[in-house]
Amino acid sequence: MLDFLFTGWGAFWMTLFMLLPFAFIFFYVIHRKSVVDSGPSGSTDKKMSRLEGIWLTVVFVVFVGVNLASLKFMPTIASAHAATTRTDIQSIDLSAKSWAYELSSREIEAGRPVRFSGRSTDTMHGFAVYHPDGRMLFTMMLMPGLSKPTSLVHTFKEPGKYKVRCLEYCGVAHHAMQDELTIVKSN
Amino acid sequence: MSIASTIIQNTPIFGKMFTVDKSTGLEEINAWPALMIMASFVWLAVAGLLGFVMPATQIFDLDTGHFYTTLTLHGAALAFPFSFQLMMGVGLHRSGGCVGKAVTGVFPALAFITMNLGAALLTVAVLMGLKVSLIVMYPLPIVGAQMGIWSMNSVILGFTGIYLVLACMILCYPILVLKMLFFGTKRPELVLSERSLNDPGMLGMTLSALTLLIAGTPLVIVGTTVLFALYGIIPMTMAAWATEPVVFQYAFFIFAHNLMEAMALMVMSAMYATLPLYLADGTRKLFSNRIANAALWILLLTSVTSFLHHFITLYPNQPASLSYWGNIMSWGTGIGAALSIFTVLATVWQHGLRAEPGIIAVLAGFVLYILDGASAMVTSNIAWAFQLHGTMWQSGHTMTVIVAMSMMWMGVLYHHYPVITGRKLDPVLGVWFVRLFAVGGIGAALSMLAGGAAGMPRRFAAWNQEGWMIYGHLIWIFGLILGASFVVYAYSLLKSRDISSPVVRQVAAA
Ligand SMILES: [Cu+2]
Repeated sequence: MLDFLFTGWGAFWMTLFMLLPFAFIFFYVIHRKSVVDSGPSGSTDKKMSRLEGIWLTVVFVVFVGVNLASLKFMPTIASAHAATTRTDIQSIDLSAKSWAYELSSREIEAGRPVRFSGRSTDTMHGFAVYHPDGRMLFTMMLMPGLSKPTSLVHTFKEPGKYKVRCLEYCGVAHHAMQDELTIVKSN
Repeated sequence: MSIASTIIQNTPIFGKMFTVDKSTGLEEINAWPALMIMASFVWLAVAGLLGFVMPATQIFDLDTGHFYTTLTLHGAALAFPFSFQLMMGVGLHRSGGCVGKAVTGVFPALAFITMNLGAALLTVAVLMGLKVSLIVMYPLPIVGAQMGIWSMNSVILGFTGIYLVLACMILCYPILVLKMLFFGTKRPELVLSERSLNDPGMLGMTLSALTLLIAGTPLVIVGTTVLFALYGIIPMTMAAWATEPVVFQYAFFIFAHNLMEAMALMVMSAMYATLPLYLADGTRKLFSNRIANAALWILLLTSVTSFLHHFITLYPNQPASLSYWGNIMSWGTGIGAALSIFTVLATVWQHGLRAEPGIIAVLAGFVLYILDGASAMVTSNIAWAFQLHGTMWQSGHTMTVIVAMSMMWMGVLYHHYPVITGRKLDPVLGVWFVRLFAVGGIGAALSMLAGGAAGMPRRFAAWNQEGWMIYGHLIWIFGLILGASFVVYAYSLLKSRDISSPVVRQVAAA
C-alpha cells in the first residue's frame, strides 16, 4: 500500500484525497447558504471554534502522518543509509552534454545498490530513469559549474531495460536526449 | 484627461471593454488600473491562442521547434503580462480606493511600460529563435547561442525584455503600492472603502508588495550584472560571479517562487475584502479577522523558504538539510490554507451568501487554488519530488496556480468594474463564465497532474514517445473549454450596460 502511495500515481490519488472531501464540503456549504437558505445559521462562536480545532487537528495529523510515512521512500535517506551500511555499492559516473550522455557503464546488477554520480558540461540537464513499465523511478538535476556531482544511490529490484530521459529543458532537441540502462540478474 | 484613458479610448475592441467613467471624479484611481487590465486581456488573447496551438503542434505532429516556441511564449505571456498585470490593475485600483491616494505620476506609467515593453521584446526575441521556456533555464540562452541554435542578438534582446518585466514586478509595482500605503496625503474624495493594516484586505496587499521587493532584490542585482556584461558595459570577467549557473538559478527561484506566493497573498487579501460585501445578512465582516490575518502570516513565513523544494533533485549539491526544510515549509503553507478555508466557510455558514457571479468566480478560483496547493505540497515531499520533478505535474501546478489566481481576480473585477467604467456586466454570461472556467480549469489541472503521474515529461516535444498523447488530448480539450470561458468573459465586457439601465435578465434565469 505505502509502496504504491509513494509513486507518481500515488501522488495523484493523494492529491484527490486532499481535494475531494474539501471540495464536497465547500460546495455543500456554499450551495446551502446561498441557494437553499441564506439566513443566519445561528451557530454559536463556541461551536465554531470547536469545529476549527477539530479541522486543524485533522489537517495536522494527515500532514504529519503522510510525511512520516514518506521517510522510507526518500532517495536522500536511502542514499545516506546505503552509504553507511553497504560495502558492495556499484558506481556509475555520467556526464551530460546537449543532447547525449556519457556513462561509465550501462549494465547494473539488480538487488545491489548503485551510486549514480552525474555532471553537466554545458547547460542544465536531467537524468531520469524509467522502469520498463513506464513509471519514473527517480530524476536527478545536473547543473553545470558545480564542483561536486549530483549523486544518489538506488537499488533496482527487477532486471530489464530501463529508459533514461533528460527532464530539464535543454533546447530544441531536448526530447531526443535519451539513453538506456540494462539491469541484469545478480549472480 | 489622463494619458491612460486616451490610450484606452484609442484601442480597438479591447478599449471598448474598459472605457473609464469620467463622471465620478475617480479617474485618478481608475485610469492606469483600467489600462493595465485592458493590456492584460490583450496578452491573454495572445497566450490563449498559443495555448491552443501548443498541444496542436504535437497532436498534428508538426515541427518540434514550433512546440518549444509556443511553449516559451505561452508561459511567459500567461504568467507576466496577463496574470501579473491583471493583478497590478485590479490591485492598484483597490489600493487607491482603500487609502484614498491617486494612482498617477511616474510609477504607474513606468510599471505599465516596463511590463508591456519587456514582454514585447521577449516575444520578438522568441520569434527570432530564442526558445528557453518561461523560466529561462539559465545558462541555456548563452549555451544555445554558443551552439549556434539562436543568435546572441536574440539572447540580448530576450534578456532585456525579461529584465524590464522583472523591473516592473520587483521595483516599480511594489514601490508604487508601498508608497501609496505609507506615504502621501489621503484625499477623502478618492476613498471608496477605507481600510487599516489590521484589515486582512489590506494586510495581504502590504505583505505581498514587501515580498516582491525583498525576495526580488538579489535577482535584480544578479540580473543587472549579467545585462551590463551582455551590453559590454562591464567586462564578462566582472560578471563571472553572477553568470555562475548556481548563483543565477538560486536568485531566480527565490524570486520566482515568492512571486507566486506574493500574488497569492494579494489575491487572498482581495478575497477577504470582497467576500464580506456579498454576505446575505449584510454583516460585511469575516468570521474572524484574527484567523484570516494568521493565515496570511503563516503563508508568508512558510513560503519564503519553501522555494528550496525546487532543488530537491540537485542532491547533494543542495544539502539534504535544506531539502528537508523546504519539504516541511511547503506543507506548512497548507496550515495557512486550512485556516483560509475555515475562515471562508465559517463566514458563509454564519451569514449566508448572495450568490452573484463575481463572488462565485472568486470562490471557484479559490477551490482551484486549493487543488493546486495540494498538488504543490505533494510534489514538495522529497519522496514524491524525485518521481515528479520535471514532469507535467509541475506544468499542471504552474498553470493551475496562475489560472486559479486569475479567476479570482476576474471575479474581483466583477465587483470593481462598475466603479471603473460606470457599466455593469451581464449576470447570465457571468454564470456561464464561471461554469466553463471551473470545468476547463479543474479538467486541465487534473489532466496535467495525471500526465505527470504517468511520467510524462514537461517542456517535451514528443508526447507520442510513451503513449502520453492521451493526456495531451485531454489537456487540449479542457484547454479549449477554458478558452471558451475567456471568450464569454470578454464578450460580457464588450456587452456591458450602462449602470443606470435595468438588468433585464436575472441570474435565476441561468
Ligand atoms: Cu538535456
